[in-house]
Amino acid sequence: MDALIIDFGSQWTHRIHRTLTYLDVSSKIVPVTTPVADILKADVLIFSGGAIRIGLGDAHQTGNSREYIEKFQGPILGICAGQQFIGMHFGGTAQPAKGPEYGKVEIIVDDKDELFAGLPDKFTAWASHNDEVINTPNFKVLAHSKDCSNHAFKSLSRPIYGCLFHPEVEHTQHGSEIYANFLKIAKK
Amino acid sequence: MGFEPKKFIEGAISQMRSQVGKKHAIIAVSGGVDSMTAAAIASKAIPKQLTCIFVDTGLMRKNEAHLVSTAAAKAGIPLQVINASDKFFSSLKGITDPEEKRKIIGGLFIDVFEQAAKSSKAEFLIQGTIAPDWIESGSGLRDTIKSHHNVGGLPKKMGLFLCEPMRELYKDEVRKVAREIGLPLEFSERQPFPGPGLAVRIMGEITPQKAEIVREACAIVEEELEAAAHAKKMEMPWQYFAVLLPIKTVGVLGDARAYGYTIAVRAVESLDGMTAKACRIPPEVLEQISDRITRVLKEHVNRVVYDTTSKPPGTIEWE
Repeated sequence: MDALIIDFGSQWTHRIHRTLTYLDVSSKIVPVTTPVADILKADVLIFSGGAIRIGLGDAHQTGNSREYIEKFQGPILGICAGQQFIGMHFGGTAQPAKGPEYGKVEIIVDDKDELFAGLPDKFTAWASHNDEVINTPNFKVLAHSKDCSNHAFKSLSRPIYGCLFHPEVEHTQHGSEIYANFLKIAKK
Repeated sequence: MGFEPKKFIEGAISQMRSQVGKKHAIIAVSGGVDSMTAAAIASKAIPKQLTCIFVDTGLMRKNEAHLVSTAAAKAGIPLQVINASDKFFSSLKGITDPEEKRKIIGGLFIDVFEQAAKSSKAEFLIQGTIAPDWIESGSGLRDTIKSHHNVGGLPKKMGLFLCEPMRELYKDEVRKVAREIGLPLEFSERQPFPGPGLAVRIMGEITPQKAEIVREACAIVEEELEAAAHAKKMEMPWQYFAVLLPIKTVGVLGDARAYGYTIAVRAVESLDGMTAKACRIPPEVLEQISDRITRVLKEHVNRVVYDTTSKPPGTIEWE
């Protein structure tokens, strides 16, 4: 299986690569300017987080990413800014978070779905976000925190997932299992 | 599955041989695990084409030059020590901005390396750069968090080609390589130390006197936390040190008014330095650190605080 990590410029983009490597999945970090044809060869796409403010006019910095979402039919996972980007692309509202979170956050799972299969109802994750995405039509919220209503979601029509917290960092509990679950969806 | 140090070392050696060819290379070690591991790889790959140097910037840990040369000798890495502390202190005079500090230090290191390269006719500079160094240095969409001296702090034009065998690794993986390649434990398990040294532990302007103060405070923090960890009062922190703040506060010493600096103690748990959590230090250990620092450094410091911030939002070092 080949994963492509679309780099929105996160401090943890390379951690996604490391997490996948440790799961025995080969992955490559690519810039948002990568031609669409090259993207279509991948088995899964992951949009990383980044400092760009999706809801505050920085969406134009995401290069060809809108086209990737439209043309790529396999599983997609968006992290942090990547989740906000996906949510906004499908009609949601990305905006400054009512409760920005940095560091430790308690994630409360609302629906385990396949992404959180085998995980406890609550776990500790590490987040780092100024913004959030809300009111995402045709998406189901899978998890929230005390300060943030949409910490993970899933599309009701395509295998598209998003997490606002960062499952790729070491301080997030069960992070590697979340990636493994996502890859399992891809293998189906 | 995961990371295989043995395979990594074989790959790194053959890659270094093909990159450097028959040319000469220099490598600078700081005493930290990254540069020592890179030096160990280089001394296996190109033993006869290698000059290994240690730059004493005046901003190193207590007894560092001595410690590093002895241990390097034990590991079979011959080391040339270059004292450049006057140059570092004079170039940093009056500088308070953390990014400016880091860039000046990056440039000074390259000056010293280029000088050393001339005498050994080296064309390559081997560095122990690891993933967080280039990640935090930023580029393109990635914001610059701090310019690491070996990446974002490098001058735009330099007369040496870079060879960085460990660019894809994180600290925990470097330690696995260090153990596999047989570095002494005092290196493979040693806590990280920033490339710019104590410069990023002195907030505001750097002076030789402030370097002395923070060096002593760091030594006390290290001794006390290592002792507490050995006595099983707490886990050994991943990184632990003192920071000298430019804030002066009022104190009372022997019934006389004092007006001295503040030391912040930082100790974190982490795997790779990309996320971190402040350690839960037992109160009696914190008290002991505070008592010792304010007694030993009574002329300069009369207050000690503990930093409880995670990364994010903080970073591990303060600058």
